[in-house]
Amino acid sequence: MTTNLTKSFDVEQPIDLVWATLTNPPQIVDCVPGASLTEQVDADNYKGYVGLKFGPVKAGYDGLVTFVERDEVNKKMSLKGLGLDSKGKGSAEMLMNATLSEVNGQTHVDATMDISITGMLAQFGARLINDVSNQVFDQFVANFKKKLASAGASEVDATADSTTEESTSGIGGFLKKLF
Amino acid sequence: MTQVCKTSKAIGGMGHSMKRKEDGRFLQGKGNYVDDIKLDGMLYMDIVRSPYAYAKIKKIDSEAALKVPGVLAVITGRDLEQYNLHWMPTLMSDTQMVLPTDTVMYQAQEVAAIIATSRYAARDGREAVRVEYEVMKPVIDPFKALDPSAPVLRTDKPGKTDNHIWHWEVGDKARTEAVFASADVVVKEQMHIPRIHVASIETCGCVADYSKVNNHLTMYMTTQAPHAIRTVIALVAGHVGLTEEKVRVISPDIGGGFGGKVPVYPGYVIAIAASFLIGKPVKWIEDRSENLQADSFARDYHITAEMAGTKDGKILATRFKVLADHGYTDASANPSKFPTGMFSIATGSYDYGTTFMEADAIYTNKPPGGVAYRCSFRVTEAVHAIERMTDRYALEIGKDPAQLRFDNFIPKEAFPWHSPTGWIYDSGDYEAGLRKAMDAIDYEGLRKEQTEKRAKGELMGIGISTFTEVVGAGPSKDFDILGIKMFDSAEIRVHPTGKAIARFGTKSQGQGHETTYAQIIAEELGIPAENIQIEEGDTDTAPYGLGTYASRSTPTAGAAAAVAARKLRDKARKIAAYLLEVSEDDLEWEPGKFFVKGAPEKSKTIQELVFAAYTNHPQGMEAGFEATHYYDPPNLTFPSGAYICVVDIDKETGEIKVRRFVAIDDCGNIINPMIVQGQVHGGLTQGIAPAMYESLIYDDDGNILNGTLMDYLVPTAVESPNWETGHTITPSPHHPIGAKGVGESPTVGAPPAIANAIVDALSPYGITHLDIPITPFKVWKALKEKGAI
Repeated sequence: MTTNLTKSFDVEQPIDLVWATLTNPPQIVDCVPGASLTEQVDADNYKGYVGLKFGPVKAGYDGLVTFVERDEVNKKMSLKGLGLDSKGKGSAEMLMNATLSEVNGQTHVDATMDISITGMLAQFGARLINDVSNQVFDQFVANFKKKLASAGASEVDATADSTTEESTSGIGGFLKKLF
Repeated sequence: MTQVCKTSKAIGGMGHSMKRKEDGRFLQGKGNYVDDIKLDGMLYMDIVRSPYAYAKIKKIDSEAALKVPGVLAVITGRDLEQYNLHWMPTLMSDTQMVLPTDTVMYQAQEVAAIIATSRYAARDGREAVRVEYEVMKPVIDPFKALDPSAPVLRTDKPGKTDNHIWHWEVGDKARTEAVFASADVVVKEQMHIPRIHVASIETCGCVADYSKVNNHLTMYMTTQAPHAIRTVIALVAGHVGLTEEKVRVISPDIGGGFGGKVPVYPGYVIAIAASFLIGKPVKWIEDRSENLQADSFARDYHITAEMAGTKDGKILATRFKVLADHGYTDASANPSKFPTGMFSIATGSYDYGTTFMEADAIYTNKPPGGVAYRCSFRVTEAVHAIERMTDRYALEIGKDPAQLRFDNFIPKEAFPWHSPTGWIYDSGDYEAGLRKAMDAIDYEGLRKEQTEKRAKGELMGIGISTFTEVVGAGPSKDFDILGIKMFDSAEIRVHPTGKAIARFGTKSQGQGHETTYAQIIAEELGIPAENIQIEEGDTDTAPYGLGTYASRSTPTAGAAAAVAARKLRDKARKIAAYLLEVSEDDLEWEPGKFFVKGAPEKSKTIQELVFAAYTNHPQGMEAGFEATHYYDPPNLTFPSGAYICVVDIDKETGEIKVRRFVAIDDCGNIINPMIVQGQVHGGLTQGIAPAMYESLIYDDDGNILNGTLMDYLVPTAVESPNWETGHTITPSPHHPIGAKGVGESPTVGAPPAIANAIVDALSPYGITHLDIPITPFKVWKALKEKGAI
């Protein structure tokens, strides 16, 4: 099953810093809840791991992240992620496009994300995927802003990371949104 | 016609609402289901299933699984290949993987099996198996499956160049086309009868118990057709020594079958292979989601339906074109010569000249479908098509759909009636059924109310379905499964004290055979039904039969019981003549005894005659009191029904409320009215299921999106309206007791009644058809599109 997200957000930082961070895999992976980088294959390809809980289903993906496009002049990037469930129970594909623009010395980011999920997660978590993906994206943005704000700090606040994973992990959060 | 009981309540023959004999153990929780079976040294099996709809298997790594405490073995397709057990035939003579060696063809397909000392260890082992796949783009949309760019799925079949399975057609194409070309009115709708699941309370399972010492397999199994399964096992595994005399199939109590327990699923075969290889009993029980995702699927017909008629409401012709989505293999449970089952009953209850029907079956990356879910082989699809189109036609010409039906019914004097597709309808009185249903629901009053409500902009709909079923497969000249003719059997043994045991080739899954068969024998022999023990499901003791599905038990095995009992009554007459010293012609029968004509005080009860058969039988007569009969029906039976449904719809939300539902069934003579009523209640509930709730949804990648009962909506008591039932009785002229079978009528007849009611409510806004399941969202969307809200 496929879900599409479109998000825009502003970062109170100069466009070159935002671009540099967004196109730097170790930096950006740090901002994705539950993600870690395991190996750099070459300049465009990286191996990593993402662990997420979608309601009743816990999924861990061993994946390959590829920069499909890094157009520094137009500040356009395209990132493709391909993940296989570490237990062979499914796979996930993600294509993220982001365009940066400068607005009053700050940076405006327009991003789209197409996520396609196959296997157990699609069977059991279908109702939650859009919801959880949205939350993960929001957490990513929050972490990303925080990272840039702490200018040069290489680590994101660990507690923020774990609480965000908690909040996406249960049916509780989903139900709360319903009622 | 009304039915009178010929026997006393003490005998409890036909027509008595005798309480079900089997319910004592069920109500006390003392039923014996397959998961209740526990054998010494029994091992447990769990199954690794594919997360992908279409993928190559690159590697199966069992190493970690084999280290899990309690795990003894991991079985893959490669292991089975060594014994040539990795493929098996389907009931439609297609082939199906037991376990794959190279490629998986649908999500949830079996990939490997874990054998362990406990169910928990087996599940832990399952979680530890690592499978590497190379994922391929699956074929999910049946309309795209025949596109030349679609990958050919069944590359295992030499020379296969597309995803087409077979083409089927019946009727008079040229004549039908001519009628359509010149008809005043032609209506056409594209409809989908969605893929649904039987969702029986008990999932599938087995205990395979192979004894190396005796080279003998006892297979405890959830099967509706134990004898056929025994033969299939011998065909599949005969080459490794499991010939038919070495196989005993025992089907214990079954918690609902509905057709889902007719086919042979890979899990059964893997369990047999595992027990055969290890030499210990192996139990396999599906969990709920496995059951919902991997097997027991029905329907999935895309139908282009057309009806031609005159301006004033006379049907002239019908045309149906079907695209049948069979999933990865044709594992339908149909008689061999009927690839679309009895779909050709789609001419319905109406008398018109010509029809043309065709179907193309195709492969997709979905689990095999096509079980006859509480339906005599595709009758549900057929009835939905004809009943929907009858209403569609009435709507087109602005005629009341009840009146249009009266104007087109096959008149009762016309039976036996030859249908344009070759069936010979045995009997029917469709007008009487519809009149009774209309009176019961106050049809005229409802139409008045509807007119008033429409003036106020409120949505109220009345839907009718006047269907004809075709059940009781079937006559041996046309009906077989894997070559075995579709007769069925009964064997009656009466003990010296006049109590009996009777065994059958069928197998109850909740139908109440232990009661109804006893009542048939009681009717014919006068032995109280209470004193007749009924046994089914053990192939070592029961006579051969094709099992219980497609409403065939009463038409076939029920008839066999009556005929076998009549053989015994003939023997009793001979003994009575001997004991009373009169000629057989001087004797008269009344239920329970023979007496001398004109001298009723000179009589012998059936119990006395049976006792004599063991103690004082005439010289030259065979001792004992036993009879067997294999009944080969001369024709099918054609139950019918008239259902009327009233719905109220909330215009703002699309919420549908079934206000009333009247079901008048005609199943011929009734064996047990209470059981018939219970059958109808259950069937109607399984009729609102596809009409309003159930449908299995697959995305473009072949993921099943509602593979749990949280998402697949099975109606409960909360969703069920108050069913109002009744009957008319038009006996079958060829059936020994005039019965026709009723188990499936309500499942077949209810969905179009509900769909017709909903469309009727929405018709003022130009809505002419909605596909089932008709959900509030679908209604709301249709109203929105038409600008009604």
